[in-house]
Order: sequence, then structure tokens, then C-alpha cells
Amino acid sequence: MVFDIFFLQQVINGLSIGCVYALMAIGFTLIFGVLNVVNFAHGEVYTVGAFVGLMVITAFAPPLLAVVPLVLAAGALAGVGLERIAFRPFRRFNDEASQKSRAMREATLLSSLAVSIVTREVMMHLFGGDMQGIPAGYLLQRPVAIGPVMVASGSLVIFATSAVMLGALQFLLYRTQTGLGIRAVSNNQLGARYVGIDTDRTIVTTFAVGSMLGATAGILVGLYDGAISPHMGFAPGVKAFVAMVMGGLSSIPGAVACALLLGVSESIATEFLSSGWKDLITYSLLVVTLVFFPQGLFGHGRERA
Amino acid sequence: MKRHLILGAVLGTLLAAGSATAADREIVIGYQAPLSGDRSQYGEMFRNAAQIKLEEFNKSGKLAGATVSIAFEDSKDDPKEARNIARKFLDNPKIVGVIGDFSSTVSMAAGEIYAAEKMPQLSQTASHPDFTKISPWQFRNITTQAFEGPYNADWILAGGLKSAAVIYIQNDWGISALDGFVAGFKAKGGKIVSTEAFNPGNRDFRSILTKVARQKPDVIYLAMFYEEGAALAQQREQLGITIPLYGTSSLYSPKLIELGRGSVEGLHLATTFTPDNPDPAVRSFVTEYSARYKAEPGMFAAQAYDAVGIMLDAVAKAGPAVTRQSLRDALASTTAYPGVTGATSFDPATREPSKSLARMMVKDGKFQVVAVP
Repeated sequence: MVFDIFFLQQVINGLSIGCVYALMAIGFTLIFGVLNVVNFAHGEVYTVGAFVGLMVITAFAPPLLAVVPLVLAAGALAGVGLERIAFRPFRRFNDEASQKSRAMREATLLSSLAVSIVTREVMMHLFGGDMQGIPAGYLLQRPVAIGPVMVASGSLVIFATSAVMLGALQFLLYRTQTGLGIRAVSNNQLGARYVGIDTDRTIVTTFAVGSMLGATAGILVGLYDGAISPHMGFAPGVKAFVAMVMGGLSSIPGAVACALLLGVSESIATEFLSSGWKDLITYSLLVVTLVFFPQGLFGHGRERA
Repeated sequence: MKRHLILGAVLGTLLAAGSATAADREIVIGYQAPLSGDRSQYGEMFRNAAQIKLEEFNKSGKLAGATVSIAFEDSKDDPKEARNIARKFLDNPKIVGVIGDFSSTVSMAAGEIYAAEKMPQLSQTASHPDFTKISPWQFRNITTQAFEGPYNADWILAGGLKSAAVIYIQNDWGISALDGFVAGFKAKGGKIVSTEAFNPGNRDFRSILTKVARQKPDVIYLAMFYEEGAALAQQREQLGITIPLYGTSSLYSPKLIELGRGSVEGLHLATTFTPDNPDPAVRSFVTEYSARYKAEPGMFAAQAYDAVGIMLDAVAKAGPAVTRQSLRDALASTTAYPGVTGATSFDPATREPSKSLARMMVKDGKFQVVAVP
């Protein structure tokens, strides 16, 4: 009998992993959507969020909800700084040829990778490579029984946060002037500039928003996992990247749906295979998607780099 | 070189016999370890511990007619450096034995040269199964998973727990830990219900735990490090699973309790060195080390302290006219060396150490020694 209570538990386990990927994929996808380049430093923004959160907690011991605004601010700051260091210098030329050039795209890709490595190394020196524990009062690890299955309180918080973020982001994108600007720049940066949109400011805003979401993801996952470390961003970053590609590169709901799909697939696969094969499942799903749905599962026929 | 040695030995004996006053024979032990670079913290600990042991030994008067000194060389955790050091040590006729290196890779790189040129080598930490297979000249005083696995299996079975699930990290070490435990557990009639690998870096064990819980084993055996162990224990608690946990000595770290808190309560493991062990030898080592270096010695310092002790005892046994050959033979006959990491004996055939391990469990937020299973 495969379908039993343990199986249901596996689906729930998968959804909670998927939510972690989704939380990270949201900010990732937003930035890709606007600039059409992968921001490799998103994993470090996530880690910075976790460390700022922990520093705030150990220094002031505030209520949990008070930690969030500070982490959001740190995320916004990190996003603006990142854009300034790794992305702005490569947008010196605004003609169409430079914007579409492969060299520009690759240069930003590498510069974001460089920033991510430098940030990680600096954090290693500041905090050490060891795992840092989270003070007990802040952990989101209380077991919650929903009928016969068990979830951690953190899974529920992460699930709720992902839903709120997704909703708020859709509102921002489709109901506000800023969102209109972001969508315009995402659609055609040059065109947006010609009709009078301040593209630089829009890009900075996107980075700030995307990084705020990434930093929040970092601290929430830290509280849920019970420990943070300078390399914590790498593994979920890779999964979020896969979710983004599967979801169609710039579709945020698509990335979230694919992140959940990845989480559940990994968790159910553990039932039949060894957990050591988990990453294989993820990448097989990616390959299958790219072969049969070259635009991604939720793509809109967007031009691919 | 052989002639030099013989000449040296003859001369040394003559001098020792002739006048007991001035010319004590000088015996040198080579010590290669990473003293700079990424792994220098380990080399530092080895050197600190080695100096304490050496002074104790020279004061003890166990070896009349000779003084022993240690020549340290920095291998930078680099196999190439280690090979150069090996040649340098071999060319020094006063050096009769070598301790080191730190990692298995570097120890084995140097070991090939020592094997070819017949120099006894004792590593305090190389735990790769192939290290002692290089030649009869290699020794180590660290427990391998081939020893620890069956030891833990016996412990679990003695407690009446007959079926086990193993969760192990997917790397060389993890696989050797799995093999060691499974072989020992099955040999004594235990039943392995499942073996689950996970990739290094994984932090989510919920799906593995759910799968294992379905099999209802009596015990879950963990072959992993403290970071993963703490995460696993927390998630086990969240899922409401109450199957007892046993683990490898790699979980032994104060960080396990710091990160895992209440969830690691009741976790069992066996380890060679605990700084708060009441044994007088351990107490005097910990006091001396803390006083000199302002830090509590960990397992690595203790391993080096005992490696030096085993080497020096073998020198004393071989006498002041020690040669590389006689030192090797003396090392090979080491039985129940009373060290701070338990009593060490070398198997005469394989030169693998057997050690006495302390059985511990986490109780009231501390590692505590348990006497009976």
C-alpha cells in the first residue's frame, strides 16, 4: 500500500521544501524578468538577510515581527548596492546593439557571480564557516498536527509568506504605476526609455524589491532550519534557478508553481529511490521541461537569451 | 646511509658506555603537519600537544642514555610538500621515525616514500582505509569506521535493539561508515531495514525520516557530522518520530547540542576523547594544555598527544640504540598504550588500531558517559 498516511506526509514535506524554493524564486524571477540576466548573487542576498536577522535578534531580542522590517531594509540596501556594483557599470551604452549583445549579458552574469563569491568569503571571515544557531525563542520549529500529518510551524509561516509575497508582487506589478514601469522595462527597455520612463530608477526599484523578498526568505528559512551559515544560499539558489527556468523565466506564478512541483517531486522520489538521487530528479524535470516545453511551463513566448 | 647508521649506533653505544655525563645519544622524531595555510589550526594543535608529551617523556627518565627531540616540518596540507619533507627526513640519520601527516591524502603521498625507504610512519589522523595498506611501515592511532561501526553495532544489539535504519552522508567517509556498521550489525544477527544516503549540503531530512518511520526500525544510526545531525534531530522531533538515535563519533561536538538543543536529547554515540573525562591522565593533559595555550584541547590535540606518546614509548622499548627497523617492530607490538584517547593496541597483522571508546549519550543538555548500554 503506497497511498497511506506516510505518503500524505511526504506530500506535505515536499510542499514545505517547495515553499522554501518558491520564496527564493520569486525575487530571482522578478530581477531576471526586468534585466533578462541571471542574478547569481541572489543566494547571497538571502544569506545576508539571514545574518542581519540573526544579528538583530542577538543584539536587541525584539519580537519576531519587528525583525522583519529591518531585514526588509537590509535586503533593499543589498539590492541597491548589488545593482550599483555588478549591473550598472555594464549599462553604459543604451543603443539597441549593446543591449542585445551577448558580451554584455555574460559580463553581468560574471560580475554578479564575483559579487556573490566576495560576499560569501567576507561573511566567512566575519562569522566563520560554522553553522550559527538561532536563539530558541525565535525558532519556527514547533510541530503542528494537522489531522494525522505533522508540519512545523515554520512551514506554515513560509507558506503564508510565499502567498502574501506572490499576491503583493502581483498587485505591485499589475495595479501600480511602479509596476507598470517595471513591466514596460521588462518588455522593452529601449522603448520604455523613449516614452519617458526612468529605466535606471525602475531597475534599481526592481533590485530593491527582489532583494527585499530574497532577504526575508533568508531569515525565515534560517528560523525554520534552526541554523544559518555563509553557504546556506547556494543549494536553494540552484533549485530556485531551475524553478525559474521551468516556469518560463519571467513568470512569477510559474516559478512558484514549479518550485512547489520540484519540492513535492523530490520528496515523493525519496519514497522510491534513495534521497541521494534527489538532485537528479530536479535536473531531469528541467531537461524534460526544456525538451517538451521550450518556453517553460508558464512561458509567454519570450525571446530567450 | 646504512653504514652511517651503523657507525652512528656503534659510536653512540660506545659514547654512552664510555661516559654517562655529557654525550647522551640524540634521537630525533620527524613531525610533518600543516603549520601554515588553510589547515594550519590543526598543525598548531598537533605541535602544541606534541611539545607537552615530549617534555613529559624526557623528564620521565624512561629512556636512559638518550634525549629525544622532535623536528617539525610544515607540509601546508600539500602532497608535494609532504613528499619533499619525506625525502628530507629520510636523509637525516638521526630521524628514526615520523609522525604525520594530517589528511589521509597527504599522509599517503608521503607514506609511499617512507614505505620504499623503510621509515616507520604513524599518523594521528589519517583514517582512509588504504593508508595502512601501503606497507608494513604505516601506523595510525585513530579509529576507523571499520572499527567504530561494529563497536556501535554491538552496543546497540546489547541494548536489545534488533533492527536499524542507517542514514549516511554520500561521500567516501559516509560510505565507509555505512559499510562498517552494516557489516558489524548483520554479523551479530541484527537486521538492517533500510540505508538512506543524502547529498552533502542537504538540510532537509523530513522525507528520509518519513520513509524510515514507515519501516519502524528499533533504532536509526546516523553516519554524518554534527550540522546535519542537529537538523535531522530537530526534524525528527517535528514529525513526531520517537525512534532512538545512535551515531558515529563525528557527531561529537558541543555544536551538536548548541544547534540541536532538546531534540538531540537521548542521542547515543561512542568517542575516543572527551575533555571532561575524570581519568587522571586526561585531567593532567587538559590542565597542562589549557594553561599553556589558553584553550581547551579537542580531539585533534588529543590524537597528536597520544601519537607522540605511542612513538616515544616504542623508542624507549627499542632502547637508546634505536634504528628505523627496531622502532617499527616496537611500534607494531604496541599493546594497550594508556593514552588520553583510550587504550590503543595495534593489530599485528593489519597494524590497524583498536581503541577503547567511551560510550556517551546526550542527557540534560550535556554529553554524559554511560556505563551500561
